[in-house]
Order: sequence, then structure tokens, then C-alpha cells
Amino acid sequence: MTMKKLLSVISGVFAAFLFLSILAGCGGGGQKGPARIVLWEIMDPEERVILDEFLDAYNASHADVEVSRTNFAPEQLRTQFLTAAMGGGGPDLVFGPADNAGPFSIASVVHPVDEIFPGDYLARFIPLAFDTLAGHIWTLPAQVGNHLCLISNSDIVKTPPATFEEMIRIASDFTADTNGDGSIDRYGLVFESKEPFWLVPFLGSFGGWVMDAEHNPTLDTPAMVKTLRFVSDLRNRYGIMPRECDYQLSDTMFKEGKAAMTINGHWSWRGYDDAGIPIILSSIPKNEKTGLWAVPMISSRGYSVNVNIEGEQLERVKELLKYLVSPEIQVAYATKLSVIPSIREAFDDPAVKKLDRIAASWEQYQRGKRMPVVPEMRAIWDAMRPAFQNVLNGEATPEDAARAMQKDAVRKIREMKG
Amino acid sequence: MGSFLRRYAQPYLFIAPAAVVMLLVVLYPFIYNFIIAFSNMSLYHLRNPEFVGLQHFRTIFTEPEIVSVFAKTVIWTVVNVAAHLFLGVGLAILLNQEVKGRGIFRALLILPWAMPQYITALTWRGMFNYQYGAVNLMLRALHLPAVPWQANEYWALAAPIIANIWLGFPFMMIIALGGLQSIPKELYEAAEIDGAGWWFRLRKITLPLLKPVLVPATVLGTIWTFNNLNVIWLVSHYGEPADKTHILVTYVYKAAFHYYRYGYAAAFSVVIFILLLSFVVYFLKATGEKGAAG
Repeated sequence: MTMKKLLSVISGVFAAFLFLSILAGCGGGGQKGPARIVLWEIMDPEERVILDEFLDAYNASHADVEVSRTNFAPEQLRTQFLTAAMGGGGPDLVFGPADNAGPFSIASVVHPVDEIFPGDYLARFIPLAFDTLAGHIWTLPAQVGNHLCLISNSDIVKTPPATFEEMIRIASDFTADTNGDGSIDRYGLVFESKEPFWLVPFLGSFGGWVMDAEHNPTLDTPAMVKTLRFVSDLRNRYGIMPRECDYQLSDTMFKEGKAAMTINGHWSWRGYDDAGIPIILSSIPKNEKTGLWAVPMISSRGYSVNVNIEGEQLERVKELLKYLVSPEIQVAYATKLSVIPSIREAFDDPAVKKLDRIAASWEQYQRGKRMPVVPEMRAIWDAMRPAFQNVLNGEATPEDAARAMQKDAVRKIREMKG
Repeated sequence: MGSFLRRYAQPYLFIAPAAVVMLLVVLYPFIYNFIIAFSNMSLYHLRNPEFVGLQHFRTIFTEPEIVSVFAKTVIWTVVNVAAHLFLGVGLAILLNQEVKGRGIFRALLILPWAMPQYITALTWRGMFNYQYGAVNLMLRALHLPAVPWQANEYWALAAPIIANIWLGFPFMMIIALGGLQSIPKELYEAAEIDGAGWWFRLRKITLPLLKPVLVPATVLGTIWTFNNLNVIWLVSHYGEPADKTHILVTYVYKAAFHYYRYGYAAAFSVVIFILLLSFVVYFLKATGEKGAAG
């Protein structure tokens, strides 16, 4: 054999090997082993620690199953799951907020939960935990809440305010330029003032809401105008909030003891504990002018099952799901992270009932209103955001901003529906 | 055919795996993108898209925001690439001199390039906060007024541009430094003997001989900057304030992945592709002709 022929043979074998390797990489492999269940989730780091403990225990006690999880940012999970499931693949389970139900149900990429679990099993959950869309439940709730509360630094605020007036007074008392450099270095109130999610509680307190029962935006209303003016006044008239107060800044200031109060959700409480800030949770106050409490959006977070899995794999996933939302795991989340359980047994567990934070969070939850899970909500958020920012920046009046957000929301919804 | 196979079988076999991968991950999505650009594929028509002809292209060119977004894309690209070139070549010329501690300077100046873009962008965002950001603190220390980097439409575009200049100049510096080291020293010595000054040597020796490396680097830099989603998306926090800090790619990203307007976004991607292709063809032709003339 000449050298040239030898080289040809070697290169042919090499090319074939590479090609087959690629094909093998695309396939699932032929070896028998434990059945794999893949979970994609958007949990916070503290939640993942607890989840991993329970998944390890599950894997150890189920030799025929191997569960693995991958963490995603919420937007990434939504997009990648849609793409993968549309192509016939994707993970077996996804964990995310209830509003995933909108795109997932329209694209038909998840099983309706009420079709794969019997009614008597679902009856074990607290009714407020479920979101329905098109007559079905699309997410098996593992947590209830995901809502905003008022959080006060108890070293500064002895009794949380019950009305907006009190909140402004307490915040004004604390706001100060302590080092005399002409710049205020501690504020009474900090919260993410760039995201409309934080605007909604105030909108509710003026009697407004973001959409009607037919999912049409209801943004150009007197309630929205009053809300925008009120939030703008917190910063520009009363001066109790910093300029350009985004999530990072408000979180940092509160953790450093440079803010008396903040508005945030259960995902933040552990961080404040770790920072050594003693906190009291309470409902966002009542609007004394309307007599209405602030109305944060409430929702659940939970698991959805990929529509592409069937038969034995579906049964395995259902068994895992029952474990993941079991009272044992939910009590662990509640006691360690103050997350409200979705299943009745955990909700009524004495170890959970005695927790002040759960009680305060539940009180706020009951004053909240369900976040719409339809995809139109996304267009509404995106229409509210710029107009809200324009008011805070002094580039639009509340009246103009309310008109602009309504117009923009209607246009975006029309474009989305193609 | 037999002789062709005998002659070329080996190289074709070698490139076959790469060709297969390229077909799967580049050509197929590219063609698929073209197809869905003419359909109404969206969340509501994901499984049953219909042919809509040029509807999306008409929408793109009649949208009220398009002029502003396009203008910002041009500003973003031109300012960034110009600054990368100016800083990169300038620093390369300085680092090409015999300077004490040259290795340390080189390492320090490459540092921005070695940092993950995501982290750099978020760090810069924090530094641009009006009240507590490092940039405004420095301005105040210099008795200059603080700048509303995140609240004003124009400053909000300037902020990611500054961050991206910081991130991008080391690439141009490294390329230019490589090019400088390949210029024979004798040319400079001969020019000096003839009495040529620094400026003359730069114009007549350095820049013309750097051109072969700078032209492809500029083309690449332009394409990367034009399509750079991360920096502007993260520094402006998804287009703040009020969705006014968008370039074409962030605009498309939002249409595709926030509103699930896949057909529209695909059509927009086709427009961007044609724009970039036209630029590259024109630029290469223009620089090639001048090079030949020179």
C-alpha cells in the first residue's frame, strides 16, 4: 500500500469517525440505564439548595430514575422550552411562574394538569393556588404568592404604616443628608421604580386595574393618572425616594440600612436576614383617600408537564411531581424561605402556621389580585414601562402617559396576534 | 469522475464533518429564517403559519420607530468602531515602543477583553446610576454636574457606547500590535535618514502597512458591533428609558422573544442581513480599490 493510499484510508476512517460521533452525540445512546427525568427551573439560589437536597434523596431512593435539573433565567426558560417542545423535544418538567400558562397553553406545549391528575388529588391544594386559562389548569402549584409586601427595617420603623400618609411621614422623617455634603444619603422608602409590577399595588389602591375580563387593557383611566401622580410625588414632591431607583439600588440601600422601608417579594427576605437587617413584613398601606388597600398582583409558581411525554415516562414524571409538591417539601420551603405552601396539609402545618412572615405574607396575598396569565399581559407590561418611566423622569404628564400606555398596549396586542 | 475522486477524495473527506455541521447549524437556520420571514408565524400561529408575502417588510419600513432605531444603530456602530480603531491603533503604537514595563501595560490593556461581557455590562450599569454610580461620583468630585445616564434618551445611548468602547478597544489593539511588529524597522530607519518626521512616518509607513490587517478587523468589528446585543441590552436595561435605547438587533430580539412575533422578527433579520452584506461588499470594494490605487 502506498503512503498516499494509506493516508486516504486513514482520512476516510477519521472523517467517518467524526461524522458518526456527531450522529451519536445527537442521539440518546443505546445503553440501558435509569430513566432520565429532566427539569428546567427558574428558582432562586436558596430555593435550589433545598430542591437539590430533595432531588438527591429522590434519586437515592429510586434506582430506576435519575432526575437532573437545569437553572434558567425566566425569559430564557420560556423561550427555550417553547422552541424545544414545539420541535417535539424539551425537558419533561418546567418550574416557573403561573403566567407561563399563557404562551404554553396557546402553543399547546404542556399537558393540562387537570387532565393528568384526578380531581381528588387537586382538591388537596388550597383553591387560591390555581390559575385557570381556557378552562384548564396548566401549572401544578408548588408555591403561593410571588407578590410584593411592605418591608420595614424594625430598627428604624417600630410600627409599619397603615396608610399612605403615615408611610410618607415615616419616610420623610428618616430621609436625610447625614454627612452634610448636600446629597441625601438615606431615604425613607426605596423600591424598584422602573418596573410597572411595583406600580400595580398603588393602581389598585386608586381603584384601577390593568385589564378587563375580556383581556382588553384598561390603562387610560383616572385611577392610572392618580397612581402615576402619586408615585411621581413620592420621589419628586416628597423626596423620600432616590432618583433612578432600580431593583439593585433599592436592594443595596435597604441591606446597608440606608433605607427605612422597601417593597419587595419573598425572594428578597432571606437576603435581608443575611445582611443583618431586622425586618417586619406588612401589607402595603391603605390609600386613605379611597379607603382601599394597595393591591399587589398575586400568583403561584409551579410545575408544568411537557406535552411530548406520554406513557410510562408520564407516569414517572407524575410520581416525581407528587413528591416535589408534597407537604414535606413545602413545609421545608415555608420554614426556611417563608414561602406560602400551595397544598393544604403544609399550609395548615403547625410549624408553618406559627411563622409571622407567612401570616403577614398571607394577609397581603388576600388583599392582592390575581395576575392575568394571558400573553396579552406582556404587551401591557411593555406599554406601561416606558410611560411610567417618562412620568418619573418628568418627560410626560400622568395624563399623557396614561393615554400613551393604553394606545401602545392596544397596538402591541394587535401586533402579537398578527 | 474517477480521476476527480482519486484527486480530491481526501480533502473532501477531511472537510466533510465541518461541512455537515455548517449545513446543520448555519445554512438550515438561514434558509428557514428566510421562509418564515414571509409567514405570519407567531405565538398564535405557531403550528399553522400562513404565507403573508411582503407584509412584514411593509410593516418594518412604515413603523414610526424605525428611523430613530436605525439612526441609533448607525451612531452606535460608527462611534464604537471609530473609537476602537483610534484607541486600539494609538495604544498599539505606544506599546510598540521600547517602554519599561511594556508587558504589564499590555496585560492591563487586554484586561477588558478578557472580562465576560455580561458581567462588564452589568457593572457599567451600576456605575452609571445617577446618585450612587462611580461615573457621577467622579464628575461631582471634579465639580461637574451629574449626568442622567439612565433617564435621558441621549445619555442612555452614550452609556452603553462608553461601556462597549472600553470592552472593544483591546481587540483592535492586539490586531494592530501584530501588524506593527511585522513592519520592517529598516523602512523607519530609511525614512528617518531622509528626514521624515513622526507624523510623516505614521501616514506614509505605519498606516498603509497596517491596512491589510486593519481592513478585515474593521469589517469584523463593524459586524460584531452592529449585532452586539449584550452590551446595549444590559447597560440600558432592555432599552430604557422608555424603550428609547434600541438598536436594530435589540428591537428584533424584543419582537421575537418578548412578543413571539417570529415572522416579523425573521423579516427584520433579513433586512439586517442585507444591510450588513451591502456594507461589507461596499467597504471591501472601496478599501480594495484605494489600496490598489495607492
